[in-house]
Amino acid sequence: MRTWARPTAVLAVVAAVALSGCGRDSGDNGTDDAAQPISEGKASGEITVWAMGTEGEKLAAFAADFMKENPDATVKVTPIPWDGAHDKIATAIAGGQTPDLSLIGTTWMGEFARTGGLDQLPTDLVKEGDFFPGAWDTAVVDGKAYGVPWYVETRLFYVNKDVAAKAGVTAPPKTWEELTAAISAFKQKGGATWGVSLQPGGTGSWQTVMPFVWQNGGEVTNADAFSFDSPQVSDALGYYESFFDAGLAPKDLPQGQLEPDFVKGSIGAFISGPWHIGILEGQGGAGKYDVWHMPSRKAATSFVGGGDLAVFKDAKNRDGAWKFVSWLSQPQTQVKWYQATSDLPAVKAGWDDPALTGDPMLAAFGDQLSDAKSPPAIGTWDQVAAAFDAEIERLVKTDETAADAAKAIQQKAATIGTGI
Amino acid sequence: MKRRRDRNAAIVLHTVLIAGLAIMIAPFVWMVLSSFKGEGEVRRTPPTWLPADPTLANYRELFERLDFPLYFTNSVIVAVLVTVGNLLICSATGYALAKLRFLGRRALFVLVLGNLMVPPMATFVPQFVLVSNLGLVNTFAGLVLPNLALAVNVFLMRQFILSIPDDLLESARVDGAGEWRIYWRIVLPLTGPALATVGILTFLGSWNNFLWPLVVATTEDKYTLPVALALYSVGQNQTQYGLLLAGSVTIILPILVIFAVLQRHFVRGIATTGLK
Amino acid sequence: MRLRRSAVGWSFALPFAALFAVFLVGPVLASLAMSFTDIRSADVRSPLAVTFLGFDNYVRLFQDEQFVKAAGNTLVVVLLGLPLTVVLGMAAALGLNSGLVRFRAIFRVGYYLPVVTSIVAISVVWRFLLQPDTGLLNSVLGLVGIEGPNWLANTSTALPAVIMMIVWRGIGFQMVIFLAGLQAIPGELYEAARIDGASRWAQFWHVTVPSLRPTLLFVTVIGSIGLLQVFEEPFVMTRGGPLGSTTTVAYSVYSQFSFGNYGYASAMSYVLFLAVVLLSILWFRLLRSDEVG
Repeated sequence: MRTWARPTAVLAVVAAVALSGCGRDSGDNGTDDAAQPISEGKASGEITVWAMGTEGEKLAAFAADFMKENPDATVKVTPIPWDGAHDKIATAIAGGQTPDLSLIGTTWMGEFARTGGLDQLPTDLVKEGDFFPGAWDTAVVDGKAYGVPWYVETRLFYVNKDVAAKAGVTAPPKTWEELTAAISAFKQKGGATWGVSLQPGGTGSWQTVMPFVWQNGGEVTNADAFSFDSPQVSDALGYYESFFDAGLAPKDLPQGQLEPDFVKGSIGAFISGPWHIGILEGQGGAGKYDVWHMPSRKAATSFVGGGDLAVFKDAKNRDGAWKFVSWLSQPQTQVKWYQATSDLPAVKAGWDDPALTGDPMLAAFGDQLSDAKSPPAIGTWDQVAAAFDAEIERLVKTDETAADAAKAIQQKAATIGTGI
Repeated sequence: MKRRRDRNAAIVLHTVLIAGLAIMIAPFVWMVLSSFKGEGEVRRTPPTWLPADPTLANYRELFERLDFPLYFTNSVIVAVLVTVGNLLICSATGYALAKLRFLGRRALFVLVLGNLMVPPMATFVPQFVLVSNLGLVNTFAGLVLPNLALAVNVFLMRQFILSIPDDLLESARVDGAGEWRIYWRIVLPLTGPALATVGILTFLGSWNNFLWPLVVATTEDKYTLPVALALYSVGQNQTQYGLLLAGSVTIILPILVIFAVLQRHFVRGIATTGLK
Repeated sequence: MRLRRSAVGWSFALPFAALFAVFLVGPVLASLAMSFTDIRSADVRSPLAVTFLGFDNYVRLFQDEQFVKAAGNTLVVVLLGLPLTVVLGMAAALGLNSGLVRFRAIFRVGYYLPVVTSIVAISVVWRFLLQPDTGLLNSVLGLVGIEGPNWLANTSTALPAVIMMIVWRGIGFQMVIFLAGLQAIPGELYEAARIDGASRWAQFWHVTVPSLRPTLLFVTVIGSIGLLQVFEEPFVMTRGGPLGSTTTVAYSVYSQFSFGNYGYASAMSYVLFLAVVLLSILWFRLLRSDEVG
């Protein structure tokens, strides 16, 4: 043991020096210093941006207006695939090779902010009150903001109209009891094989389950410690499980089956975000469905996701980057961005525009956004979420009880830690 | 009598082999056919084999949204540099390890073997940090250098060259040829098929590589095909299967052509090294 | 004289050795060092601040039930995948090499096709093939009266389904190596055996099999290394699920890296490395012959 200690210690130092880039300033820990203001006036210079998916594809052309307003600035967008985006950003921060700013998945903010790779949001750049509170929280790490929400999404119930009519369900359920009654009516009277489709575990199922936890007054953390072992959480898990136990929800629906089955009425309802409007349209489902708000217990909370914009510590054009962020956060820009991409505005004022108010489907999402939450931005959330997803799968597919599942999640989360 | 037995054996053999072939290529046939289907039909249940309404829409969309010539060129540049580099560097090293006695030979070989066994993921982060400290991020050098000298190729070349008879080299030495001359004039020509094999395997690995080019290329103009295809085929919440399939076909096609052309050498390469 | 010989040797090996030392050995040592620390992605900008843990990461691994499960799954992959790919690859090679087959090139290309394909691309197709009600596999099984399961959603069938795909992708490579091995067997050996009146079976057992020993060692070693490090198939097909039933060790390494637990992930890599080394040594012991090694 002792003979080992020395050579490995030496190796560790060698590696550390190699990793730190031979003495690059290694002391900067983003969580220590205060937010710096940015310069006055128009943006100038080259602003490099990474963005994933549709956003990456559409942002370059969209930024032309910004460059018109700021003739000395050029925005250079590099689209990057969602697949591998997390690893790309993480390694870029490690190697000090970041662009000026990037779109960042809401659940990655905690991790990246703690690497010291993100710049703190400059004071007075934007107003917190302009954004949906649940979305704003995704960019706040240890009480400090490291970016702003760019666009948002939230989850509602999609309900097949025919099934609901046959089942005699005329109004959205207000409570958990009413929801259960409605879903079983879908199956008994509405002709659906499955009253509802809920994620039976697997990647991202926490996004479907956590709303029920929040509705029941449960939380992910309580004063920096995980609080999954509360009765609020285990009751919510029990409620979620009840749909599977009662045979109202399928435990292993094959991939790609959800939409066609929903359109033809063999699945009565499912929970998803606004992108399903487009998918259902593409599969001949337009006009065949309604959307419902989340039911209420102590609250009627849903999940809020989307994307944040953050500027990196290593940015070459920090001021220009923040000015671009500020421009993207203006209500009229957010509306235009919605028209270009269908990304929903994270800024509340954006929703007053006729482009959004005219669509009742969207209005429902807008309403739900005022009561929508995200998990706190802890550095290890992805790992905690994976453990959570695994327990949901066990809860649904084995005879594990809700109380045991809650206990197991708590225990695993405690082992993982909050990364602070 | 013997003839008839051979005939029967041949019939059975062909039946089995054709059944096997069907299993091996069915997914590809389905993939190619489906790339000509509209998005609705790709998702239809039960799935169809032949496109009911053949369309080039997927390919058109792919080529419109993608600067195809650029990414194709990048992929070719990277794959060719990596392949040529590996052929030269690894065959020379393979020759040294197989036929020359020198100080540190054993240590080098053990390192090569050891490296074969380290999971690639383990070195990923330090490798990137290294490349960024060398200032090679977003350069072809950064894309190529870490893959220019692959341990597995040295191992393969050594194995091939081992089977070249020593007498052949010895007689050349007696004639006064230097080692470089022997390597260039005798060993390399004899390893032609082996080079074809290593070349194809290396080209393939480089062509299909995703994570490394994704991380090293920080602007679009250095993207390779797999990275660029991942941009458009996988959305955050939805996969456009038609596009994905069309993209897959375009990415597989060049490899398939290369392999079909070189397959004879490829097979010979693995076996025959001077055993004529 | 010895020095001169060494100089000549190194003149061949130097370009490789230099690149190898910088781009591979360096990072390998760095990650080995990381495996003794608690380094996380959040620490990469100040790596000197990490805590030295000694062997804690390694000890923790064996108490981590997910890792133990992944190790078990990986073992199953090797135990089933290796014999299947080797036997089927060898059978295909023997068939093609028998001299009775026409259009050999077509078979060769066809059987090798799965190897050259980007796995991300082909996994989409496989997920379609494995669909429970409408997938090709279950429709074929239905013809013979078997009701196929929902392969990828079922804890008992997901791993076999993934292994099925691994074998499908692995046969071609094994076949090509075996074909090469077969073609390298001198014709005189068969000639001599025929003169001695050996039957086809006798020729197979006494000429073909012994001559293929180096090939067998090669495919077994390369095959085990590949199978122990299986990552892509479970990654693209099941993300390790359902209930961790297809999580392999390499997949766990990847997920720990994604979670930013660089120290722990590195420790996992080195345990995997050790397993590969031990298994390779075992194969060399069992199958060794003079031509190789």
